[in-house]
Amino acid sequence: MITPCATDLALERLLAGRAPPEVIAHVDACGGCAERLAAMRREGEDFRRTVYPATVERIEDAAARSPGRRFLLALLPAPVLLAAAAAVFLVVRPVGPPDDYLGVKGSGGIGLTVFTPGKDGPRLLADGAEVSSASTLRFRVRVSELCRLVLVSVDGAGTVSRLDGGGALGVPLTAGLHDLPGGVELDGKPGPERLYAVCLADAAAVPAVEAAAREAGGRGGEGVRRTVRLAGLPPTATQTTHLLEKRP
Amino acid sequence: MERRTRAAQLYATYGPAVYRRCLKLLKDREAARDATQDVFMKLVRDMERLEGPDDPLPWIYSVATNHCLNVLRGDRRRGRAVPLDDDLPLASPQADYPVLALARSVLAQFDVDTQAVAVGVLVDGMEHTELAEALGVSRKTVQRRLERFLVRARELLGGRAS
Repeated sequence: MITPCATDLALERLLAGRAPPEVIAHVDACGGCAERLAAMRREGEDFRRTVYPATVERIEDAAARSPGRRFLLALLPAPVLLAAAAAVFLVVRPVGPPDDYLGVKGSGGIGLTVFTPGKDGPRLLADGAEVSSASTLRFRVRVSELCRLVLVSVDGAGTVSRLDGGGALGVPLTAGLHDLPGGVELDGKPGPERLYAVCLADAAAVPAVEAAAREAGGRGGEGVRRTVRLAGLPPTATQTTHLLEKRP
Repeated sequence: MERRTRAAQLYATYGPAVYRRCLKLLKDREAARDATQDVFMKLVRDMERLEGPDDPLPWIYSVATNHCLNVLRGDRRRGRAVPLDDDLPLASPQADYPVLALARSVLAQFDVDTQAVAVGVLVDGMEHTELAEALGVSRKTVQRRLERFLVRARELLGGRAS
């Protein structure tokens, strides 16, 4: 069967790591599509080098002026608003480190800080720290260049969880420090839990991170403690890791 | 994270797709740069949709396409030289030039809303439901506009259409 050439939209999905296998297979075998894809990559580079730096400020200004979806609140009945307010309080209640805290574990292209709410404010968790198995965690990440972040955890039972909420694309981050929105609650099961923060140049590599984490999780609790690097990632990927020991 | 930071990150992620679309339609780097900025300023008004779980690319594509078609129409009205056979998207890299020129000249006879449907379905290969959602119209509206387009295109093409 001859599959039709990929449309530009299909190629955009491929670049975003969202293309179905038949499109990937077609592009691999089609000189015309491969050529168009290469041209699109060059145009993307052109955007990153020249268009983005020259225009990002106006985009930021437009976003700051826009009210977002807050106007929808006016349409909701009072009980819903009260419930929403309570939920927002729970989600955004600050548990992060002080604003002047800049220490982020890890060197090179990526660093990760893990902290949990404490009686006297947020408490930093060192690598290998013991925490209650029902703790809430928040994350601060430092990246040295524009990339897509994947934050994944794996426990001794081999359970792999994505903690970044970025789905197939990962979370796009500009160079600098970022407090990841929201937080996660540990599963209540004692044992090791290892976090991997990975910075990718291309969303197409997101599945490779998940696969590598699954592989690390297949080695049992001791394997999780020992596996400090995920294998099989693209050479341009940077990564760091953080071990937590969950206690009952 | 504050809206400015989120917008910058979304721009880094989806800006290339907008730029590529604008470059293809406008065929001018400066114009594409300006259009990309204008399109994204529209998109960040609904930042939550860009960040949502659904693939935002069809919506992004439609907003960019509509905007650029409007730019081209404005240029034409102002008398700026926009070659009739060079102002609309290529249907396929494999298509013959006369076929492309014909397709473009036919498309140019329609209003921007109809062009957006025709380009979305026939060039970008979008599903009717997907395009309807992206354009903010009903699926029936997409079908109706497409049917009108096809009927009129057949008339314009006379005996050349099969």
